[in-house]
Amino acid sequence: MTTPSPTPIIQIENLHKHYGETAALNGVSLNVYPGEVVLIIGPSGSGKSTLLRCINRLETFQAGSVCVDDIPLTTAENINAIRTEVGMVFQSFNLFPHLTVLENVTIAQKVVRKRSPEEAEEIGRALLAKVGIPEKENDYPGQLSGGQQQRVAIARALAMNPKIMLFDEPTSALDPEMIQEVLDVMLQLAKEGMTMVVVSHEMGFARAAADRAVLMDEGLIVEEAVPDVLFSNPTQDRTKAFLSKIL
Amino acid sequence: MQIRKELEKVPGFEVANHQIDSWWWLVAAVVAIVALLAGLEPDPYWRIIKFVSDGLLVTVGVTITAFILTLVLGLLTALGRLSNNGFVRWFTTIYVEVARGVPLLVQLLFWYFAFPSIIQALGRLISYEPFEHYLANPFVMAILGLTFCYSAYMSEIYRAGIQSVPKGQNEAARSLGMTHNQSMRYVILPQAFRTVLPPVGNEFISLLKDSSLVSVVSVADITRRGREFMAASFLPVETWMMIALIYLIMTLISARVVAWIERKTQTEAR
Ligand SMILES: Nc1ncnc2c1ncn2[C@@H]1O[C@H](COP(=O)(O)OP(=O)(O)OP(=O)(O)O)[C@@H](O)[C@H]1O
Ligand SMILES: [Mg+2]
Repeated sequence: MTTPSPTPIIQIENLHKHYGETAALNGVSLNVYPGEVVLIIGPSGSGKSTLLRCINRLETFQAGSVCVDDIPLTTAENINAIRTEVGMVFQSFNLFPHLTVLENVTIAQKVVRKRSPEEAEEIGRALLAKVGIPEKENDYPGQLSGGQQQRVAIARALAMNPKIMLFDEPTSALDPEMIQEVLDVMLQLAKEGMTMVVVSHEMGFARAAADRAVLMDEGLIVEEAVPDVLFSNPTQDRTKAFLSKIL
Repeated sequence: MQIRKELEKVPGFEVANHQIDSWWWLVAAVVAIVALLAGLEPDPYWRIIKFVSDGLLVTVGVTITAFILTLVLGLLTALGRLSNNGFVRWFTTIYVEVARGVPLLVQLLFWYFAFPSIIQALGRLISYEPFEHYLANPFVMAILGLTFCYSAYMSEIYRAGIQSVPKGQNEAARSLGMTHNQSMRYVILPQAFRTVLPPVGNEFISLLKDSSLVSVVSVADITRRGREFMAASFLPVETWMMIALIYLIMTLISARVVAWIERKTQTEAR
């Protein structure tokens, strides 16, 4: 929640993406500034996940450009460079089931960042403590609750020291009683000044942490504003229609 | 998995789970029959065993060598078929289709009889002395033939195993900055490994049985030694019964070992 500085850390310009015949993004432009928390909302199929996945190039796109921390998304080296700066948290956690919790948070540090096992473990333990599950490091992901798994997934992404964190509906696969523990970790991150792009319909989190809310529909950004303003005084009909369904 | 977790709360389940698999009695029974025959009727049964024992070593050696090579070549082929490179994909696909489409016996005959002739003709063409006088080593050609054919089947097992790992696993690995190869090595293959163990074990058993085909290309395996014994002794019933029992002991033991490995990896997985 720092004041946005003038140069954006993510620059998305006129992004077009289609899967075969299906259009997913129809010309999206969005700038995210360092330290900003941007919330993306919108109906199912509106292209929210696709937009996030274009930022770290899990999806290719047909037209437009994405630039992260002044690195353009072009060559394979650039893509890997960007991926080490951008952490991603998935709806379905995607923890590595064959590795222990601690190994989950150290593997990429060792393989990608080339840290020594001791250093990786020290960092990993500190992050597990930070997300509130220091005592589970030797368990396998299958032995944890959904909320605990998602917190490990956040720790795993943080272990790479990303400058940006992307969250794709991080709480929608969770039982209601576990949502808050994950949101608390995300709120904490936001407070520490992490740049975050979050797809979520958690209004409480949006009001508490987001600097800006963006509404997407049919592969386009329909409206963007400060969350309170967007939720209480939407200007576009499509925003009103969508908000009436979820609020 | 859910059922397993529930079961594990039942006292005694863990113990029962690690007990020796009850099918070992079948192995014991077949071994006992062989021992009885050899002990009560040394002539011809013990004579047969002594006569074919060097062939038994050949069978085991050919099978294990070909199997190890198959594990490696099969994996390389599977990775080739999942590669981003179009040429590599095309090449490995053709190989798999050819190797699976031609009978193994015909492949073995090709490697033993046709391949050396081709090398010799090539040698004459380019006047390269060692090629002109190239002679096939039956062992090498038999192992080559078995490996060539079985790697194609093995690659399909690996490929299915790799594809059974959810897509999100690779995405998570890539989003952490891992390259395609790192994701394969640290994330995808270790998970695929568990699912492919049982079918890979079954391939070993098939390979053990199919190794008897190498007897037609001058390899003195147990089947070929059996034929030699029969020709000299005129005892077809005794000879082939004994050979069949020896194969049966080997395949039954292998099947038990595969089942044991399978159980062990499944309990370790959770
Ligand atoms: N792998 C894919 N193959 C084909 N079409 C896809 C694929 N992924 C997404 N789409 C399509 O692209 C469009 C945008 O999908 P996307 O997943 O980005 O939507 P979303 O806003 O994240 O929706 P949700 O809220 O359901 O997650 C949809 O029409 C979807 O059907
Ligand atoms: Mg989505």
